[in-house]
Amino acid sequence: MELFRLDAMQVADGIKKREFSAEEYIQQLLERIDRVEPKVNAFITINRKEAIDKARSIDKKVRDGEPVGPLAGVAVSVKDNICVKGIRTTCASKMLENYVPPYSATVVIRLDDAGAIVIGKANLDEFAMGTTTEFSKHGATRNPWDISRVPGGSSGGSAASVASLECAVSLGSDTGGSVRCPASFCSVIGIKPTYGLVSRYGLVSYANSLEQIGPAGRTVADVTAVMNAIAGSDRNDHTTLDMKPDYSSRVPDRRFRIGIVKEFLSGADPEVAKVVYNAADILTKQGCKCEEVSLGSVEYALASYYTIAMAEASSNLARYDNVRYGFEMSSEGYEWNSYYAKVRSNFGEEVKRRIIVGSYVLSSGYYGKYYLKAQQVRSILKQELKSLFKTYDLLMGPTMPILPFKMGEKIDDPIKMYLVDIDTVVANLAGTPAISIPGGFSGGLPVGLQLMADEFQEQTMLDAASLFESVTHVQRSPDL
Amino acid sequence: MAVTKDQVKHLGWLSRIELSDDELALYAGQIETIIKYLDKLDTVPLQEVKPVVASKKFSDLRDDVAVEFEADPLGTSYRKEGFVKGPRMV
Amino acid sequence: METKIGLEIHCQLTGAKSKLFCSCSCEYRGKEANSNICPTCAGLPGTLPLLSRRAVELAGMISAALGCTVPEEIAFYRKNYFYPDLPKNFQLTQYNAYGITSMGVDGIMQYGDGKSARIRRVQLEEDPGRLVYEGSMETSPYALIDYNRAGVPLVEIVTEPDFADPKDVRLFLDKVTSLIEHLGVCDTRLEGSVRCDANVSVGGGNRVEIKNVSSFADVEKALRYEITRQNSMASRDIEIKSETRHWDDARKLTKESRTKEEEQDYRYFPEPDVPSIVLGSEFPSLVSRSMPELPDKRKERFISKHGLSPHVAQVLIDNKELADFFETAMSAHYLPREIANWIVNDLMGFVDEQQKEERSILAGLKVTPGHIAELARLVDEGTINRSIAQQVLAQAVKTGEMPSQVVRKTHSSRIDDSDELGRVVDSVFKAEQSAVQDAKSNANAANFLLGKVMAATKGRADPKAALELIHKKLAEQS
Ligand SMILES: [Zn+2]
Repeated sequence: MELFRLDAMQVADGIKKREFSAEEYIQQLLERIDRVEPKVNAFITINRKEAIDKARSIDKKVRDGEPVGPLAGVAVSVKDNICVKGIRTTCASKMLENYVPPYSATVVIRLDDAGAIVIGKANLDEFAMGTTTEFSKHGATRNPWDISRVPGGSSGGSAASVASLECAVSLGSDTGGSVRCPASFCSVIGIKPTYGLVSRYGLVSYANSLEQIGPAGRTVADVTAVMNAIAGSDRNDHTTLDMKPDYSSRVPDRRFRIGIVKEFLSGADPEVAKVVYNAADILTKQGCKCEEVSLGSVEYALASYYTIAMAEASSNLARYDNVRYGFEMSSEGYEWNSYYAKVRSNFGEEVKRRIIVGSYVLSSGYYGKYYLKAQQVRSILKQELKSLFKTYDLLMGPTMPILPFKMGEKIDDPIKMYLVDIDTVVANLAGTPAISIPGGFSGGLPVGLQLMADEFQEQTMLDAASLFESVTHVQRSPDL
Repeated sequence: MAVTKDQVKHLGWLSRIELSDDELALYAGQIETIIKYLDKLDTVPLQEVKPVVASKKFSDLRDDVAVEFEADPLGTSYRKEGFVKGPRMV
Repeated sequence: METKIGLEIHCQLTGAKSKLFCSCSCEYRGKEANSNICPTCAGLPGTLPLLSRRAVELAGMISAALGCTVPEEIAFYRKNYFYPDLPKNFQLTQYNAYGITSMGVDGIMQYGDGKSARIRRVQLEEDPGRLVYEGSMETSPYALIDYNRAGVPLVEIVTEPDFADPKDVRLFLDKVTSLIEHLGVCDTRLEGSVRCDANVSVGGGNRVEIKNVSSFADVEKALRYEITRQNSMASRDIEIKSETRHWDDARKLTKESRTKEEEQDYRYFPEPDVPSIVLGSEFPSLVSRSMPELPDKRKERFISKHGLSPHVAQVLIDNKELADFFETAMSAHYLPREIANWIVNDLMGFVDEQQKEERSILAGLKVTPGHIAELARLVDEGTINRSIAQQVLAQAVKTGEMPSQVVRKTHSSRIDDSDELGRVVDSVFKAEQSAVQDAKSNANAANFLLGKVMAATKGRADPKAALELIHKKLAEQS
């Protein structure tokens, strides 16, 4: 049996019923990784030994009749900006080449408690800044559906590893679409939870007020199980809210009122728009009510998003001065300012660009013009969404306005690159949840469907995703 | 507003990032384009809008209990008698 | 020319157990370098600040005691600048530019006799780490960094430029010190627990900041130096630069900073990882409930309830340690005025100036409140007289013996035995026969004989009893 093809729920079930062992499963996955990594490059680090050790301990528990958790034996890849104690966490940057965290992120501890196995650290754009996973010190990740194209980003390694059957599920981080974009480009499911639902403790900050950790997986049931493991308040993160949700992935009886966001479609590639309209037809046939709505303040969303993200990034990344941790470069003979400047010139091009723009918008005299206004735009967007969610259960549109594009195509034009985030940044700015689900294909390339819900309405979002999943058969992994 | 190489150099200094001449030239143009895009914010009628602020209750803050961290959190090997050896000050 | 002085006082909240944003201990002193740190205060990637409730409460107490308005909601800002003692290369602090966000604003404090100074704001922030050099900062081949202190809660008190005289600054600082000691928020005896920067301008000229002043006594000296410097420049029509100067403790002067102070652009913005904290309506009552008796109230009580003079009461409350010492002694023997006078007039004579500066007045002394209480009792009961008591105190300060023990050992208690006193008077009469003759007609000569008796008993005789005996003997002889 090809165990590596199994979904997370099938894996946990099979291990608990002793149809196969966790060790057999992990061994097969490691072989699969060895086979496909040369093409995909989804991983920065592969935790061979740790994964096998954990698999054995799970098998022992199963034999001894001890409880093993809902994700028993399930292989998960973790984006390399989420700390796993004792395992190198590089953020795909030279700056953290040798960094080994002495603690684990809350989400990693929770997955571990649920029985999951961290099989490796997934590739990303340096410090999660990018939309293509091309800005990685470790080399670009490739789209498993067409390895000449980008997998999306910044959690490109997460989505690509799931689509390539190198793991069952993955944890990514979504600051402006970083889980949903690669989920869309790789034809898997990706979730950006409500801000404050999932602990960020142990996630290396890029833009704290926008980002959340979220799962990628091949089925709604799988991402639901991961959400159930990781969501809920955490004493180590002051921005988490006091709750412990329990989501279901059953196909619901209820039907939804869905608003199709006009602005998301008008700017989209017609091929992409076609898939979205087709999806709306499918949902309508199932009894949902779909109608076009307008979200006017989308116009300002990107300017607001990039102002906040770059401002916060410029400050968050100040700590990388190579004095306490980092990479090998002696400070002997350097005056401190010149050492810092020399060391920090090792950030990649995109990171430097964002730090500099971030410094610009925060510098004296500009705070009111940029940062404060950007925060006010968030308020407007939030209000506008609130009023739409009075009428609609969900808002729908494409996750990405374009199809997965060729590698290198946009890398030299930052603005062109930033513009493709237009549909995803809204949820980050408003703090609301969003999901990308495989919507179909166009010329062999995946198109993701984005569903957005009101704050803490993850269940509604998952219900609609389950419904869509139950009546469509969109392929989740390519032949490699 | 035009962004000059000198401005980028100053921002590089504020951010402690050494930039080569080529980088200064490249970034000056790109950053000007980016800033121009962000200037879109100037056109939003916002006077009355309050920025988004999250809040937390005083009673939910951390308890004042001292706990020792069990490991050495510092990764650097440049040490002297426990101190971290940093670059010279002058 | 008009002089304007403003102050920035930093005080560590040593009354808290844990650091401001993590659970490391506030007691970093004396520990091995970098042994009092965790991922959060070491600035490791992925860590998040977790604000201490107690630190907010202590800062609230300071704000309230300084008469500040404490807002309903407080927020934290990032102050972005690079420096090797900052683990994150930004400092979490408070900032008041966009609505009130700091712990307290717009306070006023009375000090001295009827003077007052306005408090601009009180803010809560994190202390940086500590840099150590081999030799001087200028010559050391590297900076040795110890992050043990990084993240210790610090309260910054910023005054309006309401002082004209360095002497007033000193009085104000003494009052603030006593206040934070009484609040129990800061142990001011710990090295570096309170620090003060000042800014000075004369005749409406540019403002000069003075930093690096290590003690409050030096603040006064630094200000005197700086005012003289600025006045002499102004009198020669030289413009005073707006700058930061450092106090050179060895040479007792202010000098231009050696390190180039760049035009700083701190790029403040609200800390996204610490939501705005809603203190709520119960906060003021919580603060006032945990607020102990403050120095002004205590002084009033010492005067009205225990009958101390305003001067003595003031000296006691200026240093919480001293006031506590007084109260403990008084609880052993309720002789408030006697005890207070012994503390203020005599005991303080044994404390050197250095110790007074460090505010650890009683640390080196072997004398406890019990000693002073007993001394006061011995005097009050007439067992020893005042001048003997002074000698007894001197001995107790040296050895730590109890006063009664000293008295016993040196036989210095008053001679109560009239036979013994009679024998002394007899021998004086024998030795001073001409004075005795004289005394029969001259009262002053009787006093001379008394002096001789006192000398012979090394002061242990009761003068009244001795004089009676002398008169009696003179009458017998005539
Ligand atoms: Zn700590």
